[in-house]
Amino acid sequence: MSRPSDLIQGTLDLLILKTISLEPKHGWAIAKRIQQVSDDALQVTQGALYPALHRLEQQGWISAEWRKTETGREAKFYQLTKAGAAQLEKELAQWERLSSGIALVIRMV
Amino acid sequence: MGKRRWRDVLRMRVRSLFRRNQADRALEKELRFHLDQAIEEQVARGLSTDEARRAALKAMGGIMQIQEECRDMRRTNFIENLKQDVRYAARILAKTPGFTVVMVLTLALSIGATSAIVSVVNGVLLRPLPYRDPNRLVRIFTSSQGYPKFPINPNDFRDFRARLHSFESFAAYVHNDLQLAGTGQAVRLSGFQVTAGFFHVLGWKPAMGREFDRNDEAPGRGAIAIVSDRIWRTRLGARRDAIGQKIVLNAVPYTIVGVMPARFEHPGNMYHAVAYGDPVDVWTPFTSFGNPNDRGGHFLDGIARLRPGVTAAQAQGEMNAAMQQLAREHPDGDTGWNVLVIPLKKEIVGRSERLLMVLLGAVALVLLLACVNAANLLLARATARQREIAVRAAVGAARPRLIQQMLTESILLAMAGAMLGAVLAVAGVKALLALLPTDFPRAGDIHVDTPVFVFTLLIALATGIFFGIVPALRGSRADLREALHEGGRNATSSRSTLRLRNGLVISEVTLACVLLIGAGLMLRSFVNLLRTDPGFRPEQVVTASISLPEASYKDNKAIAGFYERLLPEIRNMPGLSATGVSSDLPWTGWDDNAGGFQIQGEVPLPHESFDARYHMATPGYFRAVGIPIIRGRPFDEHDSAANRPVLIINEAMAKYWRHGDALGGKLTFNDHPKEKDWLTIVGIVGDVKDTPNNAGAKPAFWWPMLQEPFPLAANSSIAIRSPLQPKLVADRLRAAVRGLDPSLAVSGVRTLEQVAAGAYSTARFAFALIGLFAILALSLAVIGTYGVIAYSVSQRIQEFGVRMALGARSWDVMRSVLANGMKLTLAGIACGIVLGLALSRLPGTLLYGVSTADPVAIGGTCLVAILFAALACYVPAMRATRADPMRALRAE
Repeated sequence: MSRPSDLIQGTLDLLILKTISLEPKHGWAIAKRIQQVSDDALQVTQGALYPALHRLEQQGWISAEWRKTETGREAKFYQLTKAGAAQLEKELAQWERLSSGIALVIRMV
Repeated sequence: MGKRRWRDVLRMRVRSLFRRNQADRALEKELRFHLDQAIEEQVARGLSTDEARRAALKAMGGIMQIQEECRDMRRTNFIENLKQDVRYAARILAKTPGFTVVMVLTLALSIGATSAIVSVVNGVLLRPLPYRDPNRLVRIFTSSQGYPKFPINPNDFRDFRARLHSFESFAAYVHNDLQLAGTGQAVRLSGFQVTAGFFHVLGWKPAMGREFDRNDEAPGRGAIAIVSDRIWRTRLGARRDAIGQKIVLNAVPYTIVGVMPARFEHPGNMYHAVAYGDPVDVWTPFTSFGNPNDRGGHFLDGIARLRPGVTAAQAQGEMNAAMQQLAREHPDGDTGWNVLVIPLKKEIVGRSERLLMVLLGAVALVLLLACVNAANLLLARATARQREIAVRAAVGAARPRLIQQMLTESILLAMAGAMLGAVLAVAGVKALLALLPTDFPRAGDIHVDTPVFVFTLLIALATGIFFGIVPALRGSRADLREALHEGGRNATSSRSTLRLRNGLVISEVTLACVLLIGAGLMLRSFVNLLRTDPGFRPEQVVTASISLPEASYKDNKAIAGFYERLLPEIRNMPGLSATGVSSDLPWTGWDDNAGGFQIQGEVPLPHESFDARYHMATPGYFRAVGIPIIRGRPFDEHDSAANRPVLIINEAMAKYWRHGDALGGKLTFNDHPKEKDWLTIVGIVGDVKDTPNNAGAKPAFWWPMLQEPFPLAANSSIAIRSPLQPKLVADRLRAAVRGLDPSLAVSGVRTLEQVAAGAYSTARFAFALIGLFAILALSLAVIGTYGVIAYSVSQRIQEFGVRMALGARSWDVMRSVLANGMKLTLAGIACGIVLGLALSRLPGTLLYGVSTADPVAIGGTCLVAILFAALACYVPAMRATRADPMRALRAE
């Protein structure tokens, strides 16, 4: 299990932005989705998830809306804003650069 | 970051701040949903509901912690702290209402005074003049040995206009009031004759119609006029078809060719001056160029627009070269003249600049003093609050938080002061406007407006930080152990605080003394000016202007005929002691005759010429305005066209007679005089000061009405000396004039005392304001001194008790406290006198008949400062004598 502090700074933001880039999701769904897609390698705790969501919302990269889920309950759905989409692009590019850099170093040395 | 995102961010912050509860509730709901989902998942795996809940809660961790972290993410903590601090500060300040009221009041008074003065400076000096590119506008004057600043000659003007390259445009204008007849009572309109393109120079166009062009400068092309918006509205019914209409001015029908917009302002002029911004209602073309070789008469005011990039000095250089060329072409008229090019703004506001700068400096001193005083009072409080602050530090408040909290208090105080101060500023500016000197420029442009309010707010913020920072730094440094120690008195810290506070008191006394010295100098100048003899007796004299249009009053005989009928009517007034008519009144304008006469038996000194101001007067004039006849006689009814020509001269002019007696002497205006061209001096009158603020008097002479060669009498002033109410006198005058000729207007009604007030109104204004600031400064210094002495007494109260117990008399204790206060005061006075002397050169021309190191002003300052310091020390000194020996001994 990876705690957010183990993740490289900003990675959680990237994961959240990427996860809601296709469709709006609520917090629980975001955590579940990250867990599933990463084959349970990444588990995001609530203690890390919600502060991150609130920070992203304050920064204007995501916006939130209360909506009904399929089961008819009220949940807070998060979606990317225009600025958030641009930010995601930027962070993805940065991540690509960083990870390919790390990969190179690991292979070479 | 896009604009939209900023907006989102701002909205989020605002929401988190003001709907904090709502945000918290939403967060709780969000987390609950998450928890429920987790429980559902566990139940789906087969756990019981209870077990599922326990597992989910465990996985979730501390809910409170998440909530706090989310709140942090919303970045509202800084603002939350601020809100808390403000609330806390307000509560603390409310607990000590005396302190708070004194602080807010002193700050409000000084901030209000600053804002009021800044409003005046902003309106008069900073606000641009209402013309296009006003910085390129200049006024043109000529100057010679005898006349340092003089109007220009019309033909010189025409040559300048044709030859100069420094100017984009150049126009000239001359005051020419006109009488408007028609429906209702006749009125006199303030009017100007202007050359082509006068409005264009200023960057204005008529709202309707056109302005004058060169063709209109040719005489005899018919009477045309441009009128003001006011006349268009009040006399022409604001009709759109006003152009081409006729109005009757001076009994002649004029065709209206233009209407000026309402906001057009007269740029001010020198010859028969109308001040900048005073209403001008009618403009007619200037056509009186006369013989092109006539270069003697100077009466046009010049105004020009510099080409971009050309300075006034460069333009003046070019003009002087042109003037020298003109002197070669017209040696008798144009020799000896130079040209002055003065920026329009300087010409309008230049003479008020020093007064305003002195006032601004004075009010800045008051503001500084208020800051020092506030810092002083805050330091005293910080000492009293040492324990509270130590407790807060002990329970974990970090020093920056303590400083932030204490600064919040001082800024809160300053803001409260600023708000009250803004109200005071509005009232203060109203009072200032009522008090302004009579010749103060741009009074109409003075308002308390948004920039001034913004400035007030910034000043408040700056003062709040300025006076709060030292007490905050010191107060937050509380030593825990010492402060919390039972009964502990932090001897070292309080001693250094006392030293700092002593320094603050000394500087307060210093600043107050500087202002007291300034007020003393202003008071002395004011009194000196009041005592100066203006040369006439202004009490109980009503004056007014009457002009007789040439169309109905062809010559001086007709004019004299009118006054021969009018004056007896006025003499019937009960109690009247004298009445007379003159071409002008003291200080309201004059005409100069430069080098235009010869005196029988006298030649001018090598570097002199016979120059004099000339006037016209009727027999009763000198008695009416109270100009004494020193020798000889006043005019009488025999001084008519048929009899020998006579003159009355003033004492200054009598000095031209170095060989013979001026009385009975003769002079002539004719270059080749015949016997009948010599005028005999029949009277010598006392000198009237040329200008209100100047003791000097230029030579002057008066013609009798029936003998003067110009139509001076057509525009005359009447003076009526009567003990009746001025309004009553004016009403009777109007009735008498209307009875003789209903088409005539009586204008400019005022008492001679109002005219005379011009002599000292600037000094009165300066004294009133500096005096007010000095009183404010003195009160602040008294508060400061009282605060420090009272504090030191409270620190030493046990010592006093012990001394009393050991047999000291009250007087000994009292003396020791007073000595302490006097030491500070004397140090402050000494610094104040040094600083005052260093600064006393600044008022310059504002001072009249008093040296900058005036012993009376300085001595008075010392006396006042010592007296008030003694007063401030007296109460704490009394308290010291009442120290209870028993309690003191018990406490030790």
